[in-house]
Amino acid sequence: MYQFQNEGLIDWAGPLLQGALVTLEIAVLAYAIGLLLGLLGALAKLSRVWPLRLVAAGYTTVIRAVPELLLIILLYYAGSQALNALLRSLGMDGAVDISGFVAAIAVLAVVQGAYMTEVFRGAILAIPRGQLEAAQAFGMPPWLCFRRIVLPAMLPNALPGLSNLWLILIKDTALVSVVGFEELFFTTQQAAASTRAYFTFYAAAGALYLAITLASNVLFRRAEALVRRGQATG
Amino acid sequence: MPEAVPAARGRDVAVRAVDLEKRFGPLEVLKGISFEATEGSVLSIIGASGSGKSTLLRCMNLLELPNRGDLFIAGEIIHFDRGRDGQATGLDRRQIQRLRAKVTMVFQQFNLWPHMSVLGNVIEAPMQVLGLSRREAVEIAEAFLERVGLADKRHEYPAFLSGGQQQRTAIARALAMQPQVLLFDEPTSALDPELVGEVLAVVRDLAEDGRTMLLVTHEMGFARDVSTHLIFLHAGRIAETGPPGQVFGNPESERCRQFLSSVA
Repeated sequence: MYQFQNEGLIDWAGPLLQGALVTLEIAVLAYAIGLLLGLLGALAKLSRVWPLRLVAAGYTTVIRAVPELLLIILLYYAGSQALNALLRSLGMDGAVDISGFVAAIAVLAVVQGAYMTEVFRGAILAIPRGQLEAAQAFGMPPWLCFRRIVLPAMLPNALPGLSNLWLILIKDTALVSVVGFEELFFTTQQAAASTRAYFTFYAAAGALYLAITLASNVLFRRAEALVRRGQATG
Repeated sequence: MPEAVPAARGRDVAVRAVDLEKRFGPLEVLKGISFEATEGSVLSIIGASGSGKSTLLRCMNLLELPNRGDLFIAGEIIHFDRGRDGQATGLDRRQIQRLRAKVTMVFQQFNLWPHMSVLGNVIEAPMQVLGLSRREAVEIAEAFLERVGLADKRHEYPAFLSGGQQQRTAIARALAMQPQVLLFDEPTSALDPELVGEVLAVVRDLAEDGRTMLLVTHEMGFARDVSTHLIFLHAGRIAETGPPGQVFGNPESERCRQFLSSVA
């Protein structure tokens, strides 16, 4: 017991940084998948095909209505149950557990995708109609037009919203600790409980989240300068 | 069929429209337009706003699909009609895209792509649509940028250029496709008065070069100068057509006379 109380920040620095790294890993993966889901969602919402619009509307409505915490627990427990049942019915035994890592990324990505759908939809609608018409008028097929014109032209509109979502995501990763996954927040809880130096460790965790945020801000500022290089203001 | 447009330099027909009709819902915008333009001719379309001139021009590269009629342009022959479901028939997307690569447009609002430099705007379609190599596209682009007097601006972004420079970039962009027909949709209407001249000078230069051009304009003096032939549209029909001397000097229709005296 005495030994534990002598433990300090130095001893826990390794695990805490490890936890921060895992947090970043989850966030980056969830964000990347979220970007893809968001683009698909936005295209579906802007599509002329009504079933696509319906599916996308259902997706964003449901996901944005249900708390992330609930979704994580739902996917982690109910999800692995359902998967196991499915595999058993297919005659493939051997329980497949959804790992905390996969559940975390899946849920956070789906949540991010729902919000990004709206960010991208707005950003695409804000592109002046004439720029798209010019692409059409030069014989660009739809996919080429999307890749060369729509995507780069909407990024300046989307980036502020996207950087917001990234910062929210970093903090949402703390929710994954409820399924016992060792990211930054979970590790912090363990350290604090074992040393009883609550203030030290929660403050240290806060500082780490802040550091991630500050570094992210620098990157997003650079990205914004890059995608706005053709714009006279800003 | 109207009488053939007198050939200025070439003799072959570059554009032939027969009874084009275009409707937006209940609104009939074009009520049977027929005309011809020979290669190397400059055809100006004039008329009051709402007369259908922009719609007619946009039908030439299928940014608007006519509801009915026939169009021959840049070697493509298209018969427009509507099926029972109201959709256009007899058109496939490839043909539309092929046609658009040969009939390029200069827009009133320039419509440059803001995330690309001047050079990037000009090489984009030749590379992506025509499949030219970067080197070929740049070579062509630089020649046309030189031609419109913007060689030194090629690495600037459009937002940092004046309206006149942007429109000249747009003209270079349209030229770089080496189109068979060039369309201008009120190319100077969005410009400050002091910038109109530099754009008109470029258009005049192209006209003298023998390019086939269709031009919607409000610049009557310019249309008179540069056109080989004019069409005056009124309420979706051709109310007057002929060489500039006749249309401006001795118009047959009362509508055209009124219009010309109101803009003079």
